[in-house]
Amino acid sequence: MTISGLLGFIFILVFFGLMMLFLASGHEQPDQHLRRIAAFGKLRRAIGLAVEAGSRLHVSIGRGGVVGPQSAAAFVGLSMLEQLAGSASTGDKPPVATAGDGTLAILAQDTMRATYKSIGLGDQFEMTSGQVTGLTPFSYAAGVLPLVSDNKTGASILAGHFGSEVALITDAGERSDNLTLAGTDSLPGQAVLYATAHEPLIGEELYAGGAYLNAGPMHEASLRTQDAFRWALVTVILFGTVAALFGLDETISQIIGNLL
Amino acid sequence: MKTRLRAPLPVAIAIGFGLVVLLGYFFGENADGQLTTLGILRDYFLQGAVVVGGVALLVGVFNLASVHAQKIKRGEGAVYSFITLLALALTLLVGFYDLTMTYIQGAPGLYWTRWIFENIQLPVETSLMAVLLVSLTFAATRLLSRRLDLMSGVFVAFVLVLLITAIPVISTRVGLLAEVREWILSVPAVGGARGILLGVALGIVATGIRILTGADRPYGG
Repeated sequence: MTISGLLGFIFILVFFGLMMLFLASGHEQPDQHLRRIAAFGKLRRAIGLAVEAGSRLHVSIGRGGVVGPQSAAAFVGLSMLEQLAGSASTGDKPPVATAGDGTLAILAQDTMRATYKSIGLGDQFEMTSGQVTGLTPFSYAAGVLPLVSDNKTGASILAGHFGSEVALITDAGERSDNLTLAGTDSLPGQAVLYATAHEPLIGEELYAGGAYLNAGPMHEASLRTQDAFRWALVTVILFGTVAALFGLDETISQIIGNLL
Repeated sequence: MKTRLRAPLPVAIAIGFGLVVLLGYFFGENADGQLTTLGILRDYFLQGAVVVGGVALLVGVFNLASVHAQKIKRGEGAVYSFITLLALALTLLVGFYDLTMTYIQGAPGLYWTRWIFENIQLPVETSLMAVLLVSLTFAATRLLSRRLDLMSGVFVAFVLVLLITAIPVISTRVGLLAEVREWILSVPAVGGARGILLGVALGIVATGIRILTGADRPYGG
């Protein structure tokens, strides 16, 4: 066992403990701790409009794969897909999920099949509800374009790992006048989305998707835990800045080095 | 917490394997740097995941083919779907031919596969990149008309300053502009990027814990 391994494990344990604490304390009014994110309000409205107008929702979960840190963004996309598939299942056209990775497409199909089955609409599921549109960044984006541009698509939700090629998709959404809500874990992708998407999700907003779409109390508890840790990090960064200002940073580094 | 399990067995397997890999990550090596049992199990499971990912690539290709075959059947953009399937079949044939020749000659060749990538795939993707440049420029000009607020103004102002100061003639003649560019890139841009990355990292940890506890089940369980 190494010290860094032990510290990492303690970090995860504290994170998990706080999540459980917030989960236990947040049952009375589940939404009271959520700040307003305009994108999710518009998404709820878009779901309602899509069901009324008989158009479909398109959910893109990116091309990140399931091995590596990029998988987290894709898993958030899958959580959002589960909620959206349930909400929009009463519409004429069932939602369609696209992915740039075979494993993610299988998971998307599985998520939609399980969601439909759980609400008694198992016969509505089609294997083409989860599609691989391309296996390289640009072929993936090019494959998604017809779906986004289609006038039967009411809104596109992009939640997963995307690079700058996502601009091609959001541009198609802009031209067809469909709502495009998009978030990614990649920094260049976020910069591009800020300029091109109707409703960009910046930084941790992507990971809040489940909580805002009522995916369960655990999502809200994890969001509150992230907030608590963010404040702790802000405090540490400010403390470090003040310490550096007074020339104490080297002394503190030495003390921490000796402790470790 | 009320957790409704649709398939308890996959959930139990996913949680079990996830916990072993997580613990293997923290306690996979002892103080001497040698792999512990947890470390060996972690590597074994991760190698398995990579193999499954490789097989899933094949499944992805079949999925792509079946979606386009159905589009041809329904007559939706049938021409494009037909071209896609034809290109897929031809590339597969060329790949098999190259592999066979490699096996017969006993030396890696893959001449025609490389030819396809260098003369078809690469130019097409490069042209898409050029289209991307136009899309981004157009989007930046539309940003202020779509979302007129302080942050959009700051975004556009910084983009303009960075684009102008990237022109060598300007940055070499006006030293102050080069310094401004350097300051933007090394102070606000790096600070903002770090802030966003910290938020993303916390989000990744939260997502991982939700999956490990079975609150999120991206496998339909």
